[in-house]
Amino acid sequence: MSSISAPLDLIRLSLDERVYVKCRSSRELRGKLHAYDQHLNMVLSDVEETVERVEVDEETDEVIVKKESRSVDMLFVRGDVVILVSPPLRTT
Amino acid sequence: MSELAASKPETTEDNNNDNDSLTPSTFLKTVLGRPVTVHLSSSSRYTGILSCLDGYMNIAMEQTEEYEGGQLKAKYGDVFIRGNNVMYIATEKKIK
Repeated sequence: MSSISAPLDLIRLSLDERVYVKCRSSRELRGKLHAYDQHLNMVLSDVEETVERVEVDEETDEVIVKKESRSVDMLFVRGDVVILVSPPLRTT
Repeated sequence: MSELAASKPETTEDNNNDNDSLTPSTFLKTVLGRPVTVHLSSSSRYTGILSCLDGYMNIAMEQTEEYEGGQLKAKYGDVFIRGNNVMYIATEKKIK
């Protein structure tokens, strides 16, 4: 972390690595980061998108959390939906 | 009216003195490298060591724990939080 002087450096160091992105409306993305800019617009490849849906069973009133996943080859993410970006765990 | 006019230069002077006093940004400089809890407007919280932040209030943190509704949801080594989601940055005495 010593080479980091601005938060965006963390993203720069994750280029060409797989990253985890938490987005608005309970969406999570995992994919390889190809490009980003100051808005956090990002281009990811081999992406797995996970959407979490909360449903209430009408008979039992049970809250059911459903996770749906899908794969996308290449994905452009608009920066304003991004909440959090986490690079892969580094051993250094 | 004359009182008002007299108070004006004083105010300017005060503003000049503010350069060495505590402002939000001097506070943020003092908490760099310290344990903090970042509260997002979505009501989730992130506890960890504040690595750095920029003018957009984008935040980089280390050893971060994610809490939702008081429950630990995830742990991250390094994490980047986009500034527009940030509501509070609270100092912590130690990490839970």
